[in-house]
Amino acid sequence: MSKTYFDETHCAIGHPKSTFMQWMLTVDHKRIGIMYAAVMFTFFFVAVFTALAMRIELFSPGGQIMDGDTFNQAFTLHGVIMIFLFIIPGIPAIFGNIVMPLMIGAKDVSFPRLNWATFWLYILGCIIALSSLFIGEGVADTGWTFYAPYSMNTDTNVIMALVAAFVLGFASILTGLNFLVTIHRLRAPGMTFFKMPLFVWGIYATAWIQLLATPVVGITLILAILEKYFGIGIFDPAKGGDPVLFQHLFWIYSHPAVYLMILPAFGIMSEIIPTFSRKEIFGYRTIALSSASIAGIGYLVWGHHLYTSGMSDTAKTVFSFLTFFVAIPTGVKFYDWIATMYQGKIVLSTPMIWALGTIITFAIGGITGITITMIGLDIHLQDTYYTVAHFHYAILGGVVFLMFAGMHYWFPLITGKLYNETQAKIAFYLQFVGFNLLWFPMFIAGYYGMPRRYFDYLPEFQIYHQISFFGAIIFITGLIYMFVVFYKGWTKGEASTPNPWNATTLEWHLPTSPPPLENHSKVPYVDFEPYEYKNGEPVVKFDYETMRRID
Amino acid sequence: MSNTLEGFNAGASTLSADVDFAFWLHIWLSLGLFLSVVGPMFYFAWKYRADKVKNEDIGTVTHHTGLEITWTVIPVIIMMVFFYYGNTTMQMFRTMPAESQSIVVNVEGSKWKWKYEYPANASGHVHKIGGVYDRDKKTMGLAALYVPVNTNIILKMTAPVDDVIHSYYVPAFRMKEDVVPGRTTQQWFNSSKVGQFDVECAEYCGTDHSYMYSKIVVMEKADYEKWFESTSGDTPKGDFAKDGKSLLRQHGCKSCHAIDTDKVLVGPSLKTRRLTKEQVLDVIENGQDKLGYAMGAMPADMAKGADAEEIATYVASGMKGTKPASFAACSSCHGEDGKGMNGMSPSLISYDKTLISNVFKHGKQGLIGTMPKYLDISDEEVAAIVKYLNKTND
Repeated sequence: MSKTYFDETHCAIGHPKSTFMQWMLTVDHKRIGIMYAAVMFTFFFVAVFTALAMRIELFSPGGQIMDGDTFNQAFTLHGVIMIFLFIIPGIPAIFGNIVMPLMIGAKDVSFPRLNWATFWLYILGCIIALSSLFIGEGVADTGWTFYAPYSMNTDTNVIMALVAAFVLGFASILTGLNFLVTIHRLRAPGMTFFKMPLFVWGIYATAWIQLLATPVVGITLILAILEKYFGIGIFDPAKGGDPVLFQHLFWIYSHPAVYLMILPAFGIMSEIIPTFSRKEIFGYRTIALSSASIAGIGYLVWGHHLYTSGMSDTAKTVFSFLTFFVAIPTGVKFYDWIATMYQGKIVLSTPMIWALGTIITFAIGGITGITITMIGLDIHLQDTYYTVAHFHYAILGGVVFLMFAGMHYWFPLITGKLYNETQAKIAFYLQFVGFNLLWFPMFIAGYYGMPRRYFDYLPEFQIYHQISFFGAIIFITGLIYMFVVFYKGWTKGEASTPNPWNATTLEWHLPTSPPPLENHSKVPYVDFEPYEYKNGEPVVKFDYETMRRID
Repeated sequence: MSNTLEGFNAGASTLSADVDFAFWLHIWLSLGLFLSVVGPMFYFAWKYRADKVKNEDIGTVTHHTGLEITWTVIPVIIMMVFFYYGNTTMQMFRTMPAESQSIVVNVEGSKWKWKYEYPANASGHVHKIGGVYDRDKKTMGLAALYVPVNTNIILKMTAPVDDVIHSYYVPAFRMKEDVVPGRTTQQWFNSSKVGQFDVECAEYCGTDHSYMYSKIVVMEKADYEKWFESTSGDTPKGDFAKDGKSLLRQHGCKSCHAIDTDKVLVGPSLKTRRLTKEQVLDVIENGQDKLGYAMGAMPADMAKGADAEEIATYVASGMKGTKPASFAACSSCHGEDGKGMNGMSPSLISYDKTLISNVFKHGKQGLIGTMPKYLDISDEEVAAIVKYLNKTND
């Protein structure tokens, strides 16, 4: 029995004997990815249950289980955890770490020690964010957007949240840097950019956003701290500052951050669709370049968050026009995925039904995003539940669903075990039905004028809130069940072969499952396209000891 | 139900029909786009399901220039249609009618109320109305904006510089614009129907964000004119008597101060109209010089330890029972009876007219927090408020 990465590891400092210290000090990209996953999903569940508490509160008008101030802190906590601790770093930190080096035939990322330090920087950020719960007036009540001047006036722990976001931003920059260098320098010989798997393209586009956009939010948060504690007067109207400036600076980062979330998720979709259609992907170059162009246009559309902020009408028109051009490459990707299925052999395994389910939910998220790109409609729908529902369809029904798809797809690779397919599919259907029941009524409530961040509401909105509540219960049941299925799979599941899905990319051509410490036995030579299938079978076959082609 | 969102489907504003048209055009075209993705997806997943397809029948198409151009160009055209309608509806909202043919109302949004100031009428009277949504009664009656039907109304909106951003949202008119401290933003409407339309705050602004309602009441022109030319200061519905009770509601006092109970909400209770023991101790320890009394600043540390405790208990109880000897430190300024030497220094027994008026003028910084200045409350209004508080609580 050969050793896997669970049996041995390289450490940042020394050669500790204890398993615990080996995990704490590990520089192995796969172990670091798993640790990110463990921490992030812990936070994810904290934020999910915060959201459930809000849904219970909103079950009927008036106060049920908390007062207005607690509710304001609850949605801030939910937003800060979900955005800064989970969804922005999520897919890059978990699958970027675990899978990306395997996909390009590397032994690790370019800077493994930096990767280790980044993980602990991320943990430091989490600790700062969480400690604000227990210090002084408690967690911030500003919403995750920290809009000035509210964030300058409130007595709650805004500073902790800002410092945490700043530290997490640094972790994000360093991850991006590490991945950029890895993708540029450590690709297996022969693997040109247009022979990279599309997930690597997604991570590559994301890494540029992490590197270039995150410093802006860092500067913004520093300015907010200087404003709040030293009164420099850049946002405070009483001193001649401009509160709307904060919104501009905030969204210059936070809008590209949305693409930072979705691009690697699209990468996961582009891996799953050809694999389970047993067919080469349609329009490889279009998909790769559309990721890059979305990353580019993403910098130029932040103003669409400010249609009702008093910004000039000319600026609104320009931002609206540019925003429509994000929709085009995104739409093209969707048609490419569907065209990939044409004349394929569609295997409806769990990762595939997650991917297809996401096509539905993300399409709704995307289309309703176009509604609020239309300025005249946004004047009505801005800051209502319509926008809230759009955001959750795009981010939960897009990014997180694809993250789940990726978890089902790479689970055998990471753990060396198989989960129970039937149970995993039940978990999917529960979540899919619960999700739509939870969020769709909010489009209607929002259209009728239900504003967001309301702790109490007019009675006519009650029916929508109640349907949402039942949807939430179904969704969370499915969510928990999915993790139970994973847990049972990991502890008791059947052992997996190195390539259980008949996939083509390099992460499935490893000598053992789970992979050994330094991945492939030898560096492969890549003289083939990433998704070559012939008659439903992968074209390229390797001898896993020598990594020479045997097809 | 008197307190559901009123007037959403009235189609009352001249603009809402155009917005709804743009919305439904967008929804139907988008539904087409949605089905062009999801339809083939279901069809392919069924037609090419694994157990029906032989391996040798799997296709190899990876490019089709014609198709790729089609599914790029058609969405681009649809997006430009959306852009056109989004932009024209925006232009409608943003192109203000001439002020000479409109009524210009100044709107002030502050935590957590809307106030309206009309232009001066023929006799020079300026109507100032608006106020806080009454959470207990769930009505917005006196917090409303009254306007005539079929008339352009321009709202010039701002917030005090020490306040936060709000947003004036009228779902029935499909309109919304942020209200930014230190800036003046504008929006306009023209209602073709008589009726009542709800106003919500749409930009998160803190504790009572979800109670920052108002109402737009559209009236017949004659009724409006009759009210507008009057000088009573009342609303057209006659529910805006300048008595203390209405004033407390108008200025939002009850958002922070309990009137009927001793409970400390955001600020101290107005039932006892005295400082609590903790507050007295805080003033003794830190002094107080922000209230603008003629005797000037009260120095810190006038009394210490057990003496301070004794004084605080005595003052907080309303100066009943035996006066402690240590009170001598206080009586030189506040008087033997604690009533504050003819208004030269604050009364310790009760928030009297001088004190309340000074707090409105200067704001108050103390143990519990900071109360902003309320410079727009006139002397008569202060008198009415004091009268009301005396009547309710004595």
